Amino acid sequence: MVEKKGVTRRQFLKYAGATAALLGLSESLIPEIARALEELSSGKPPVLWIQGQNCTGCSISFLNTNYPMAAEIVLDKLSVRYHPTVMAAAGDKAFGVLEETAKELAGKYVLVVEGPVPTAEGGEYCTFGLEKETASFHGYQRRKDKPMTAWMEELVPGAAAVVALGNCASFGGIPAANASVTGTKPVQEIVKEIAKDKPVINIGGCPAHPDWFIGTVLDYLINKRVPELDRHNRPKMFFGKLIHENCERRAAFDAGLFLEDWNDDNPDMKLCLFKLGCKGPVTYADCPTRRWNSGVNWCVGANAPCHGCAEPSFYKDLSPLYEPLPEVHFAGLTPMVDTLGWIGAAATAAGIGAHYLYKQLGKKEPEGGES
Amino acid sequence: MAQLISIDPVTRIEGHLRIDVEVENGVVKDAWSSGTMFRGIEMLLKGKHPFDAQQVTERICGVCPLVHGTAASYNLDDALGVELPDNARLIRNLCLGANFIQSHILHFYHLAALDYVDVTAVAKYSGNDPALAALRDKVAALAKAGDVYPFLPRYESDDYVSDPELATVLVSHYVQALEMRKKAQEMLTIFYGRMPSFVGTVPGGVTVHPTVSNIAAFRARLTELRAWIDNVYVQDILTVAGVSAYAPFLTAGDSGGNYLAYGGFDQDSRGEEKFLPRGYITGNNVSSVGTFDENKLTESVRYSWYKDECEWLHPKEGKTEPDVHKEGAYSFLKAPRYDGKPMEVGPMARMLVLAGLELSGKRKEKKLLPLVEKLGLGSAVDACVKAGKFGILPRHAMRALECKLLADEMDKWLDELKPGEKIWDKRSIPSESYGRGLVEGPRGALGHWIHIKNKVIENYQCIVPTTWNAAPRDKDGNRGPIETALIGLPVPDPENPINVVRCVRSFDPCLACAIHVIHPEHNGVREFRVV
Repeated sequence: MVEKKGVTRRQFLKYAGATAALLGLSESLIPEIARALEELSSGKPPVLWIQGQNCTGCSISFLNTNYPMAAEIVLDKLSVRYHPTVMAAAGDKAFGVLEETAKELAGKYVLVVEGPVPTAEGGEYCTFGLEKETASFHGYQRRKDKPMTAWMEELVPGAAAVVALGNCASFGGIPAANASVTGTKPVQEIVKEIAKDKPVINIGGCPAHPDWFIGTVLDYLINKRVPELDRHNRPKMFFGKLIHENCERRAAFDAGLFLEDWNDDNPDMKLCLFKLGCKGPVTYADCPTRRWNSGVNWCVGANAPCHGCAEPSFYKDLSPLYEPLPEVHFAGLTPMVDTLGWIGAAATAAGIGAHYLYKQLGKKEPEGGES
Repeated sequence: MAQLISIDPVTRIEGHLRIDVEVENGVVKDAWSSGTMFRGIEMLLKGKHPFDAQQVTERICGVCPLVHGTAASYNLDDALGVELPDNARLIRNLCLGANFIQSHILHFYHLAALDYVDVTAVAKYSGNDPALAALRDKVAALAKAGDVYPFLPRYESDDYVSDPELATVLVSHYVQALEMRKKAQEMLTIFYGRMPSFVGTVPGGVTVHPTVSNIAAFRARLTELRAWIDNVYVQDILTVAGVSAYAPFLTAGDSGGNYLAYGGFDQDSRGEEKFLPRGYITGNNVSSVGTFDENKLTESVRYSWYKDECEWLHPKEGKTEPDVHKEGAYSFLKAPRYDGKPMEVGPMARMLVLAGLELSGKRKEKKLLPLVEKLGLGSAVDACVKAGKFGILPRHAMRALECKLLADEMDKWLDELKPGEKIWDKRSIPSESYGRGLVEGPRGALGHWIHIKNKVIENYQCIVPTTWNAAPRDKDGNRGPIETALIGLPVPDPENPINVVRCVRSFDPCLACAIHVIHPEHNGVREFRVV
């Protein structure tokens, strides 16, 4: 099978090895992964990727995948039947694929949802595709817009699993800030209303890292079960560790060396971003070790604070982004942190060293630096 | 007999767009462009720390976050009275330029090319190139398995490029382009941390110092991209444009002859000279470029799902109160107008403004005109000028030429970076201030405006490129540029309206940006400082 596709055994094992690395698995599992991937290639799982109140950032991030490459995923590993940014078809030829797949491959396809779902006004705040029903328009009977909510009702029941891709789909994100008008709901809430027990995997991040998405999908396909999830339904393998704990600048934090002026360039040690607002102490993601864009860099690596974009509390509850986290009482969880909804605050308290406490306690910068 | 054809979703663009065309005797007689998704994050920034603006606004769009982050940075610089260090200006230029390259490559290959190239023809490749033969085997295997998603289904047409040799080369470039656009993203993360949602620009400057090593890392990627742009991207555009079946698209798809550019890529610390110049053109009169006056901007909501009190306001005073039941409305986009006229924005607008300034001698150092000559495009341009129309093909071609000019200029900006010198001008937040940032993004002219009061954001506004291009009709019934461009296009087969989507995609629409996103409700007229 492998040889028929013009891939050598050696290349295939290399691929399996990369997959193991992606998933953070032991190399001893490589033969097993190779076998599973081989099986996969013979029957590509169908994927329907729809977009709600999205910005397409998570699709673009997916295209930034380094290994495996995007073309390989789309052509060799998955059968991407519907993806609005990539597919050739438009109009009825495009949404016809959604209708057919829902009917013919019920129980088999993975539904990927990018962006949350607005529910107000009968779902009119996000529509794509056409209803059978018509309305009068410039002398014609024109087919009505089909709301995202109607598509969810049609596509969720037959999905093997639902992946909410990115912070907006997972937790409401930026569009949810206007939920009072648009009735925006995260994907998992909508799914719960339609099919209570349907598994939903939340891949956080604004945007989601391509590895987090591809790794989760490969893991799901190889092991044929939903990966272990945290309390926000995020895969633990990617969202299990605090950024602050693994940060390359942790030593600067412990030494009390903080960046306060971007013109400073300490030749001895890269300075800690805590005082410029770093949310690493309250953010669970593996960015420090995985890095972004083929490993070229990541936020802290660019001398900029982590904004906490993988947390359910992003953006609203983590603002102001360039101000230090407020007075965290390092001995334990404080009511203030609790009310702000900072996920992982308990871990913050444990994760932040005592050094900062002695050096900086109670000192809060005025807005935007000196005023 | 006339009929209405509805296309929803228009795919291979950013966001949610519906197009309706009225077709009579195989020709488009009328058209309607509808944006069908609304987020309304207008209230999000109100009361927030001004420094947050760049991080929030870059999340308007995941395809073109760079231009929002850049506009927000200039907007805040203006409000804070920043004197931008040269290093910061150059790094902002370089990173925005990298995003232009990424976006333009993505647009031609991944968003547009499937309208012209027959992927199934690859299965018939009979040449000896091993890489192309491997591609053939892959496509043939997909076809045999009956699973050619996402390339099929599609609108069928008898004018696809179906020569196996040429189609296979173009499809192989489609795959290469995935890696090239990725490389352009990686290039800018050297200074900006990651993409999308980057972190390297802040009010007052940037966060990463230029060093010998990061300049070298940037240049290594840029050099590879420049070669690819010259040898592959520009050549592919010329090849596709040279297909005789597409000759009518030289002038078909003209948007009405009005073009607007705010200008972008500052060449000096005050931003007085810009690499892409500012100006506007009316009636396709390219040789006469007008001076842009910000006060002539207005927005109509007559056919938009917003309440009537939002009608015909300067965007800075604009209101965004949705009304999805409004009689006659058909889009979440507003209809921005300049001096009462619809305007096309984007690469074609910028290149025509640049050409006009080079022709009239106002731009001394000529870059575009010699390139047009060198590539042998003189007669095509003359034909457009003679017809008074610039259609689908020039829109693609000018995007590629802009990509080339910009990538070449970026190499010079790298030379100007000075390791060890300032990258940030630290300023405090004033208790009250106004700011503006007018820039160019891959899809066209972008403006951000801010009002700071009590050290927090009182009001934040954006007018975004696709709002111009994909706008609905205005209060006077004038169509938006895409609506106008569709009229007259041949649609011989109503089941396969391929020419309609070809035309729409040539504008590279981005709907997430276009639907007026950050627009705090407020009353009363605001005075904005015009620099």
